[in-house]
This record gives sequence, C-alpha cells and structure tokens, in this order.
Amino acid sequence: MSLKNNTTGQMRVIEAIISAFIILSAITFVNVYSVLPSSQEYETSDLEKMGYNILHDLDESGILVQFVYGTQTDRENLMPTLLLFFPPDLYFDLGIYEVLENGTLSIVNQDYPIRFGAPEVFQESNSTVSVSYILPGHQAQYDPRILILQLVRG
Amino acid sequence: MKFARNKKGQFIVIAVLMIALMIIALSVTIFGMRTYYKQEQWEEYMTLIEQVKLNTGDVVDISLAAYTEDNNTIILNDNLNRWQKDLGKAHPGHGIILTYESADDVVQAYGTSIDYDQGLARQWNESTSFSAANTTITLNITSIGLEGYRFVVTSFLNLTILSVDPSSKVINATVFREDGVPVTELKKENFQVENVSITSVTSYYDQQHMLVYTIRCDDLELSNATLTVWDQRGIKVVSKT
Repeated sequence: MSLKNNTTGQMRVIEAIISAFIILSAITFVNVYSVLPSSQEYETSDLEKMGYNILHDLDESGILVQFVYGTQTDRENLMPTLLLFFPPDLYFDLGIYEVLENGTLSIVNQDYPIRFGAPEVFQESNSTVSVSYILPGHQAQYDPRILILQLVRG
Repeated sequence: MKFARNKKGQFIVIAVLMIALMIIALSVTIFGMRTYYKQEQWEEYMTLIEQVKLNTGDVVDISLAAYTEDNNTIILNDNLNRWQKDLGKAHPGHGIILTYESADDVVQAYGTSIDYDQGLARQWNESTSFSAANTTITLNITSIGLEGYRFVVTSFLNLTILSVDPSSKVINATVFREDGVPVTELKKENFQVENVSITSVTSYYDQQHMLVYTIRCDDLELSNATLTVWDQRGIKVVSKT
C-alpha cells in the first residue's frame, strides 16, 4: 500500500482552519472584552417594577398599613424594613402624604425622612424613578395616605 | 524545507476577516435597537391594576367596619366616591376612572341569603351571625386603553357559636371570612362577652369546623351568651345563643 504523495489542497485546509479560528476569536473578543452600555429605558422600568412590587407585597401582608398609620416610631422603623427588601446599591426616599379636605397633599414624615442615601443623589441623577402608592385607610377609618417612593441606582 | 508559494486562498482569509467585522457590527447594532425600543409589556400595567384591586378591597373592608360600628348604611358609597377622586391624585396621568355598583338585593353567598342595602348587610343576634359588603367595580385606564374591566369586591365575617358550657364557663365559636377561610390569630382583645370578663382565648384545629376558638370566662351563669368579635380589619359581628 502506497500513500499518494499529493500535496494539493493542503493550503486550503490550513486556510479554512485559520479562517474558523479568526471567526471564533472575533466573537470571543466581543463577548469577553466589550463593555455594553446600560440602557436608561430598561433601568427606569426595572426600578419602577421593583418599587411597585415591594410596596404591593408589604401592603398585601398588612405590614405597610401598620407602619404608615402607626406611631412615629413605627414610621421610623419603616426605613430599616425597606433596607431589607432593596439591594444595597439602591438609594430610596419615601414620602408619606395625607390628603387634606381641600384636595392638597401634606407630607406626614417631614421631620423624620425615610431615606437611604444623600438628598443630592436624587436631584442630580437622571435615572431617578418615582413610584406612587395609595393606602385608603386603617380599621374603620377612611384616611388616605399617598406614598411617593423615589429610587435611584448608586 | 521548501514552502509552496501558493497565493490561493488569500481572498478567503480577507473575506473571513470582513465577515467577522460584520458580525461584530451587527451584534452591536441589534443590541442598541433592542434596548432603545423597549417592548410594551402587559405585565407592567397588571401591577397597577392589582394595586387598584387590592386597595379597593381595603376601602370596602374599612366601610364595612365603620358600618358595623355606627350602622351608617351610606358609608360604603361615600367612601367609594372619595376613593374615585383620591385614586386620580395618587396616579396622575394614568387616566384611572373607577365606577361602582353596590349590591342592593338578596344574594346567595357563603351558604346563606344576604340582603344587601347599598352594598352593606348584617344579620346579628343569632347563633350564626354575619356582617357583609358587596360591590362591583368597573375600571377604565385611558392611558393604556383599558375599558370596562369589572371585578366584584366582597367583605364578609361570620361568627358561629358552637356551644356554651356554663359548668366549665367556656364558649366555643368559629370565625370565618370570605370564601370560608377561617380567621386566625384572634386574641382575647378581639372578643367580648356581654356582662362577663374573658380570662383567656385559645384555638384548636377541628376536622369539621377547621378552626375553633375556646373562650374561657370568669363567670358564665346562663346557658345563653352574647358574644362579639372584631377581626383584624375592625369588622364586628354579634352572636347570641
């Protein structure tokens, strides 16, 4: 048995292998080294959903009503409770407003802000999200409170 | 060693390099398009709708609790009127329009006939007593084109005295809310027996009644007793044997 000493096509094979190697390297380079820009559209939408879901879950479990309509100490305890739910890199500021008879809103927690993060963060960021949530009242009393929750990624 | 000077395939290598560049450029362009033109998702609006449903249920609970305290039959409609306006203040720009139709006739529910008057009803001073509220809400959200989304909101509390034992000074009773769900976590403060002090309230699970409360009193001379319960929502029911 003799092997034909045929060298035609050898370079084609080598070229095909090099071509495949170049394509795979290009795709790997893009995936590993590229830094994709974050999308502002997705970021604000995700923060809105997170804020709504957390307030909704707290309301459904009956915890939110106890904090909002409780004593000042109860409202102050709302901050550490929210810290448990939000990720550590997320700043939040919760304002509790009561609806007055003339239809205007009056802030209830002006003297003890429920906030994690410096106030300047919410003013300077262009990705601040505002979520509003309303509680109608507590026990036999219709006494609506509107919660305005501001969120921004740190 | 002699390399064959073969120029064939040089264009193939160049073509492959160009294809690799095109793949990279296309990937970046598609990513930019996908993140810029975000697809509207129905799930986002469901959050708002669920919030409105949950809090409207709270309004009905609050109204029933107030009705059981002072017998004000128009309190449900009054609170819902105020709720319509306050919803708009809480969610400006969403175009939330809420209308209601309170039940005003006899409805068969929870194994009994409930005669509603402006959405409220109560049947007290019997061994099985209840307080109930029922209203149908129609929700429109003009910002998303939602129209005519209807749901029924009910609130119900049933108190049944199973037995009164004067010798052991014990009353056994069950407390149920909507859909036959037993009310748990009731304490001594949630109950009151007329002219008698309650010493303790315990509960146990029963195969027939699910959850039975045992109310121990310091004095229970008569075989009949008037028992009052308030649940965590503040809704009151009075039962009598």
